Amino acid sequence: MPFAPNPELGNRIITLMAALVLVLQIAAVGQRRIVSSIRIFAVQSFLLGSIAAVIAYFNQASHIYIAALLTVFLKAGLLPRLLERLVERIGIRREIDPLINVPLSILIAGCLTLLGYVVAESFYHPEETSARAALGHNTLAVAIALFLIGFFTMVNRRKALTQVLGLLSLENGLFLAAISLTYGMPLVVEIGIFFDVLVAVMVLGILVFRIGETFDSMDVSKLRKLRE
Amino acid sequence: MILLVLLIVPLAASPLAFFLRRRRMLEVVNLAAFAILVGLAAVLVDQVLRGGPVSMWDGFFYADALSALVVLLSAFVSFVCSIYAVGYFRHEERSRVLQEAEKVGGRFAVDKLREYYALMPLLVFAMMLVALANNLGILWVAVEGTTLASVFLVMFYGRETSLEAAWKYAIIGSVGLSLALFGTILTYYSAYGALGTDALAGLNWSVLAKNAAQFDKPTMRLAFILILLGYGTKAGIAPMHTWKPEAYSEAPIPGAAMLATGVLNCALYGLVRFYILSSKCLGPQFGARLLILFGLLSMGVAVPFILVQKNFRRLLAYSSIDHSGIMVLALGFGGPLGILGMFLHMTFHSVTKPLLFFCAGNVQQHLNTDLFRKAKGGLIHSMPLTGAAFLMVTLAVTGSPPFSFFQSEFTILRAGFSGGHFVLAVFFVSFLMLVFSGFLVHITGLVLGENPGLPRAGVCGWKKYSVAGLAVVVVVMGFWIPAPLFRLIQGAVGIVVGGG
Repeated sequence: MPFAPNPELGNRIITLMAALVLVLQIAAVGQRRIVSSIRIFAVQSFLLGSIAAVIAYFNQASHIYIAALLTVFLKAGLLPRLLERLVERIGIRREIDPLINVPLSILIAGCLTLLGYVVAESFYHPEETSARAALGHNTLAVAIALFLIGFFTMVNRRKALTQVLGLLSLENGLFLAAISLTYGMPLVVEIGIFFDVLVAVMVLGILVFRIGETFDSMDVSKLRKLRE
Repeated sequence: MILLVLLIVPLAASPLAFFLRRRRMLEVVNLAAFAILVGLAAVLVDQVLRGGPVSMWDGFFYADALSALVVLLSAFVSFVCSIYAVGYFRHEERSRVLQEAEKVGGRFAVDKLREYYALMPLLVFAMMLVALANNLGILWVAVEGTTLASVFLVMFYGRETSLEAAWKYAIIGSVGLSLALFGTILTYYSAYGALGTDALAGLNWSVLAKNAAQFDKPTMRLAFILILLGYGTKAGIAPMHTWKPEAYSEAPIPGAAMLATGVLNCALYGLVRFYILSSKCLGPQFGARLLILFGLLSMGVAVPFILVQKNFRRLLAYSSIDHSGIMVLALGFGGPLGILGMFLHMTFHSVTKPLLFFCAGNVQQHLNTDLFRKAKGGLIHSMPLTGAAFLMVTLAVTGSPPFSFFQSEFTILRAGFSGGHFVLAVFFVSFLMLVFSGFLVHITGLVLGENPGLPRAGVCGWKKYSVAGLAVVVVVMGFWIPAPLFRLIQGAVGIVVGGG
């Protein structure tokens, strides 16, 4: 090996990128156009893939490279393209109208980030001074925040497609948690999860398409036929 | 080897359906595949009872008594449902329901059938994988797989209401399961310190169970809560049960019966696996309190909806919420008695619930409605066999003696008393009483009485014999459990109580 990667530098890069991922997530909360939400998701996924690659490089854990590649290929490439095509097919003219207005939504997203840090605090073992523990601490907080904000987006947005996007960003939070805590799950599991996410998006996409056809709208709040 | 064959049979039956042109061939392939599966499950049970856990590929697949029980029940349910499905879909085709669905979906009736007969084996494959995967990550992938395979079953008829039900099912299910995935990741993390391995074996349940005492405790605590919420959503325990009434009343009857028994068992199986880890790491007390809370809450939520229900398909769904609540409660009571009660209940539930669904399906196809208001009683005269079976299975499912649920619920009650949960036991009994009275009022109103205007139903052989055969099994199970089956249940209890 020509030079040993400096783990301190790696941690800084990863923390910086994780912060960017979080900023993108909050930006998505404030977004009104579906297409730009999809693009934000694509950039966020690309960043996540790069984080995975950086972790793989600085820890010589080569199996994470595959997870990183899969993330970039599927989540930053294939899925956004599929979703954008879906948007064109249904021809969404009306844009997103959230339940809660944008400034308040962003404020709530900020509060959820704080909550993420509080929850992550309980996993922090100060006696473990290894680099891994410190790394896990920061990125875990971001991961939990991503998860919570994704959840909030799903509740806040009534369009079927934005709920799918919320689900995907929630899933991104899980991926970040997995790679920062344990350097990723075993590869077979990781591939299984990717496969499931891909199929889930296709299934949900077909559903969105059928709902759009049948109801002439993707507004989930129109789905009120079934009652007690 | 047997483990691999158990997975390959349903997996091969699924793509085969795409190449078959004729309806009869589709039916034959499905029936044959599931009949073989029941036989294979019996072989697996035999092997496990004789020689202990069976494993393969360095423990990638692993089957102990607990997995063998779930495999056996899943195979049984899928076989019974496939018999009933033949009669059910022939009737649907004759009464031109499928043609209507075809108009909505833009396809021919036989394509619609092919969709069902291709997806069902896929669902069964995912269920088998849930039970046989040793790796907790693969377990999660398989549970998510059961959701994805069954979404299209829920939207089978393509009505507006089915789309709505399918959307709710897919979204609530996926969000719930993402919580379970988070729980799985945290479990891996809490074990990471103790095991120090990032190899595949680091997530294998059989490895984790041996070392669970050294896990990081705060992490494991959060992990178990997330798992309970996640797999609890899939099992439909309150307050994450809201998808259930819609999904169960929109799916075709055999599909709904699969969701209510096989898929429910799989979700509970995942929960039990993590419960074992958490009780080894944190002591049984921590999980017990949460399980009791959620179990009792589900029973309590189901009661008012059962009492005032207007629609008998939804009645079945609330009954399923009630029963999953009972099983979770039994797990919470814990101890050898509570766990025994839970597995007995799971076994009886898998045998009895399909019959309840089949009877409801026959009635719905005869009356063309699922509303109590439009059905004016008198079914016992127009369809004597289904009517009688419906009454009988109503008594069975509400836990009246001599049927088998009485035994399991009594066992659970004893576990509650011996655990000192007197107040909870009172709640448990009163909820059971209320469900019993609600069910009895609704179903007797549906079945008994005079309704001269109702024509006599011509129920075809497939539907008739699957109901009659299953009714015999339900009655027999009330008095006699085959010795190997009981040994298997005891083995599963031993795994939960004593630890694998």
